[in-house]
Amino acid sequence: MERTRKEIERAEASWKEEVVEPRVARFKIPASPTRFYTPASQRDFDFLEKVGFPGQYPFTAGNHAFEAWRAYAEAGARLGVRPDYGASSAGRYGGYGTAEDYRDYLRAMQQRGSRGGPNVAFDLVTQCGFDSDSPNALGEVGRVGVAIDTYRDFRVIYEAFTGERDIDQVASNFTINAPCAIILAMLAALAEERGIPLAKLRGTPQNDILKEFIARGTYIYPPRESMRLFRDTLVFCRRHMPRMNVNSIGGYHIREAGATREQDLAFSLANGIAYLKEGVEAGLEIDDFASKFTFNAFGGSMQVYHEIAFQRAARRMWARIVKERFGATDPHAMMVRQPIGAHVGCTSTTLQRPLNNIARSVIGGMACGMSGGSMPAAYPPYDEPLGLGHSQESIQLQLDATRIMIYEAGISDVADPWAGSYFMESLTDEIESAAAEEVDRIESMGGAVGAIENGYMPRAVAQSAYERQKRVEQMEDFVVGVNCFTGENELDLSLNRGVEKLYDPEHLRSAEERQLAKLAAVKRERSQGDVSRSLRALEQSAKDPEASVMPALIDCVKSEATLQEMCDVMRGVFGEAEPTKL
Amino acid sequence: MSTDRKIRVLVAKPGLDGHDRGARVIAYGLRDAGFEVIYTGLRQSPEQIAREAIQEDVDAVGLSILSGAHMALTGRVLELLREQGAEDIPVLVGGLIPEEDQQALRKMGVAGVFTAGTPIGEVAEFIASHVVVA
Repeated sequence: MERTRKEIERAEASWKEEVVEPRVARFKIPASPTRFYTPASQRDFDFLEKVGFPGQYPFTAGNHAFEAWRAYAEAGARLGVRPDYGASSAGRYGGYGTAEDYRDYLRAMQQRGSRGGPNVAFDLVTQCGFDSDSPNALGEVGRVGVAIDTYRDFRVIYEAFTGERDIDQVASNFTINAPCAIILAMLAALAEERGIPLAKLRGTPQNDILKEFIARGTYIYPPRESMRLFRDTLVFCRRHMPRMNVNSIGGYHIREAGATREQDLAFSLANGIAYLKEGVEAGLEIDDFASKFTFNAFGGSMQVYHEIAFQRAARRMWARIVKERFGATDPHAMMVRQPIGAHVGCTSTTLQRPLNNIARSVIGGMACGMSGGSMPAAYPPYDEPLGLGHSQESIQLQLDATRIMIYEAGISDVADPWAGSYFMESLTDEIESAAAEEVDRIESMGGAVGAIENGYMPRAVAQSAYERQKRVEQMEDFVVGVNCFTGENELDLSLNRGVEKLYDPEHLRSAEERQLAKLAAVKRERSQGDVSRSLRALEQSAKDPEASVMPALIDCVKSEATLQEMCDVMRGVFGEAEPTKL
Repeated sequence: MSTDRKIRVLVAKPGLDGHDRGARVIAYGLRDAGFEVIYTGLRQSPEQIAREAIQEDVDAVGLSILSGAHMALTGRVLELLREQGAEDIPVLVGGLIPEEDQQALRKMGVAGVFTAGTPIGEVAEFIASHVVVA
């Protein structure tokens, strides 16, 4: 092998001299615009150690020999089953207006064949721990998601899920972080009311508060106190809802906020490590709880090769962390489980000439399909940058693009097709070592919590976003239709676009009014004595660092205390997070 | 435009929207373009923004909103500035703003609306041309 390497290196040197350099000179450019990789590009490449087989440690080549969806792909095409694609057994991510609006939407989707559970987007008022009647809610009620003030709202959503779609039959996803414990308490209360054992519930709460301080911004309490709440949800889920996933750790959001690929990977892993430590410190077994961690779609650029390498590096790094640092033995605990893999990210889509976003999302889908097991999902729909709510037309195009990649192009017929490529293995190593260095830096700051408290992670992300903007403006990075090919001979194509009726601005405008009326009714009708008692008990348990807030929260939910009343009690005990400045 | 002092701009995130990539990028960019930039951080109420604009004696206010709450929040900021006799401070809005709302915002009194893909230089020039420095 060593002799071969030397031979290759010699051959490469003479190739550069005899072939590359004359061509570079002929075109009068400073250097070759392309690179070529050889076996000499990789030092000490050990296939079994670095890649292994799909479904085996370190999972570089994928979590499974083949994914479940792939097993039934052909059968699905023959039957013409319209999948709730992109969100496993939960339905398509959505939610807006009041709980009644969202329930009606879910029923309409069910009529069109949707079989999944609720995959709930909450409005910002709910996500930030306020009620719809708070002055902070101005303009936001029911806007980016559904408004949940009390258990009564939560219960209404589930009116769409009864009988064969009862809450033990479908998975529930909740995109919520700071008030996650309250939403889980509502789910527990609902199960109890319906006489369904908690142990049968399935689903995934986002429950990834640390990345809210780095990107997305829906934090309430300071980072350390937030981790206490995470611990309480983790322990509650493991003891009472063992089929529930614990969290969905967001790499995606961090990248969309501007992080580089390496920062995204490192920050997500550092956050993951912090969550693992909470579980260990709470006395849980690593194999038991780490297998209930999930990740939210690492991805977010148009650089296909890099995104594939990134997925491979992420799987290998997480597996090694969970196994080597935390001593896990169950392979399921070591996997990066995510709903889809690589994708271009919403920030890669452009408002200018928006139909071009179809081409972009297909490229992301190709990367996804070639990155080790994931469905080649074309994401996002082309009208993502045009405002809230995807049109049915864009969703159809997105679904069909995915199907064309699977059924016509056969993208998913080979597991980890880039395995062993001199180029891809080198790139995977590069991304891994850059991210590992960054993880070490964060660990030296006291881990993710420390690197949030000192402002390091949020500032690094903002700085990277600015660097990217400068590269685009200086035409070092190109974006078609934005900073290049914008001349008068270019055509701007458009397509008929029917936005969901329920996203209709008129309908949304009345949502706030309808929600406020409901909230006022709850406040009139509930027993104030019960509410005060349950909130006092919540305060007691929040004050005791060894206690769990979950039982008290379930009582608060049942007494119809509002979400903000519960959050305010905890604000009183935990304090509030300060927003980071520049 | 006088060169006696730098143009002061308040970059603000009103409401609950946590998507601050645009706001931060604009803040860095304007600062590099020679402006004095104050960034509020997330989750500021219209009252806080109007107060800070007046107290800091800024020459322009940039609001960044991606949650769809732009009509209500911008309207409130304009109203508060007007109430306090500061309607001469130009207010700019950036973010995810549908075409029909851009018109409505301008009618409401917004000096300029900027959406994704706008070069920072364009925003900087716009501010410089709209600011009357005493």
